[in-house]
Amino acid sequence: MAFETVKVGKPLLLRILPVLSIVMFFTVWEVSVAPPDVHDWRIPSTLLTSPSDAFKLGIDKLTNVNPDGATLLTHAYVSMQEAFLGYILALAIGLPLGLMMGWFSMVRGLARPIFELVRPIPPIAWIPLTIFWFGIGLGGKVFIIWISGIVPCVINAFLGVRMTNPVHIQMARTFGASDWKIFTSVCVPSALPMVFGALQIALAYCWVTLVGAELLASDQGLGFLITMGRNLGRTDIVILGMVSVGLAGAVIGVIIDRVEAKLLAGIRR
Amino acid sequence: MSDCIQRKTKIQVKNFTKRYNDLVVLDEINFDIKDGELVSIVGPTGCGKTTFLNCMSKLTETSDGDIFIDGEVADPKKHNLAFVFQEPTALPWRTVRENVAYGMEVKKVPQRELNEKLDHILELVGLKDTADLYPNQVSASMMQRIAVARAFAVNPDLLLMDEPYGQLDVKLRFFLEDELVKLWQTLKSTVLFVTHNIEEAVYVAERIIVLTPKPTKVRAEVVVDLPRPRNFLDPKFIEIRRHVTELIRWW
Repeated sequence: MAFETVKVGKPLLLRILPVLSIVMFFTVWEVSVAPPDVHDWRIPSTLLTSPSDAFKLGIDKLTNVNPDGATLLTHAYVSMQEAFLGYILALAIGLPLGLMMGWFSMVRGLARPIFELVRPIPPIAWIPLTIFWFGIGLGGKVFIIWISGIVPCVINAFLGVRMTNPVHIQMARTFGASDWKIFTSVCVPSALPMVFGALQIALAYCWVTLVGAELLASDQGLGFLITMGRNLGRTDIVILGMVSVGLAGAVIGVIIDRVEAKLLAGIRR
Repeated sequence: MSDCIQRKTKIQVKNFTKRYNDLVVLDEINFDIKDGELVSIVGPTGCGKTTFLNCMSKLTETSDGDIFIDGEVADPKKHNLAFVFQEPTALPWRTVRENVAYGMEVKKVPQRELNEKLDHILELVGLKDTADLYPNQVSASMMQRIAVARAFAVNPDLLLMDEPYGQLDVKLRFFLEDELVKLWQTLKSTVLFVTHNIEEAVYVAERIIVLTPKPTKVRAEVVVDLPRPRNFLDPKFIEIRRHVTELIRWW
């Protein structure tokens, strides 16, 4: 065997650094926030809850539906459903569209002007029209999330194809490969790193828009939990909602990373 | 040499001309290549060797004239053309084996035949042990061997090589030139090898076509009638090298 993978262990310091930074972050946060009804130099609990209180509330909210009408898992499930539907639809339409725009001048000519017009409109600006079109149910929220997710999908897939090494295309051409064959066997695989970038960016956009989409008169979801916390003046509920959105996003991000590492074995090593 | 004369003409280059507005790059180039012949093209720097190859491979349209394969106008979709570029062209997301198979996949070679050919060619170029690695795990010389193997694997009517070993060091180049000659002798492909390295041309080719500076024409054809394996120190080798150098020198 001419090649053998050499595994080099990470130094201890590099391994503990992430843990250290998280522990420090939560410790500083914990000591800077005063318990309820205590007034000293610390941040009052009406402005910011401590991580331990948010954690306790999280445990409690696993079973308790009060005061916002649903358990934490129900909120998370509803949000996931909305975000994922919007996200999957954004990938399903945005990626093929972007890839085709990158290679086929006909598709580029047709789709690019419309895309460039729609792209700068913030997803939240679509809310009034969405209410007219879809009412206040799941459809409207999915639409808003879809709008926000499709933009990075199209841009990254498009750029990924445009950045294909020209010599690879020439090589395929000299073998007599058709335009479609070059697209599927050279352009699409070479765009994959950018496409996986799009998965991450679109996910972040979808989560960010989730809270906005749930402002659309909803009665469940993590965004709704945050809104309820605001309405009730409960910072612990707000923080719990925010942390849940953050955690769920991070977990999905890690999953996408793992899939990417497996699929792009030859490109990134 | 007599063998070379008896072989039928495979490739005809007729009135090959390429103009960019007023600039004439290739000026009515004419020559033939016999079936299974290894012809080298040398010329001074900037004489349009790459333009010439791009036109030969149909990546660029000629302004006038054409290339004929077995009497028909060459068409990459119909004829088996293959091109080995100067820069590495291994697709990074495919393993060595999948890379070598790429040309055959494009040509829709049946799976069974493809696998047989693949095993044979990987063995010939010494890539069998590294077949399952990705290009970023193999050396620069292996990258070029992938390209050479992929090109030979389709049994090309015409294999065009554009200074494939130009970026490698001398020792590797000698090694790969020997390998190229071995592949060519085994598979009997028709090869057009473009290089600016005169020694390399004399070492591999049966015939050398010497080009002039722009506007490029064929200055001379030199037959290299030396036994193989060739010896760089052989007085006849040195004599041919000197002769070709004289033909292309512009200083």
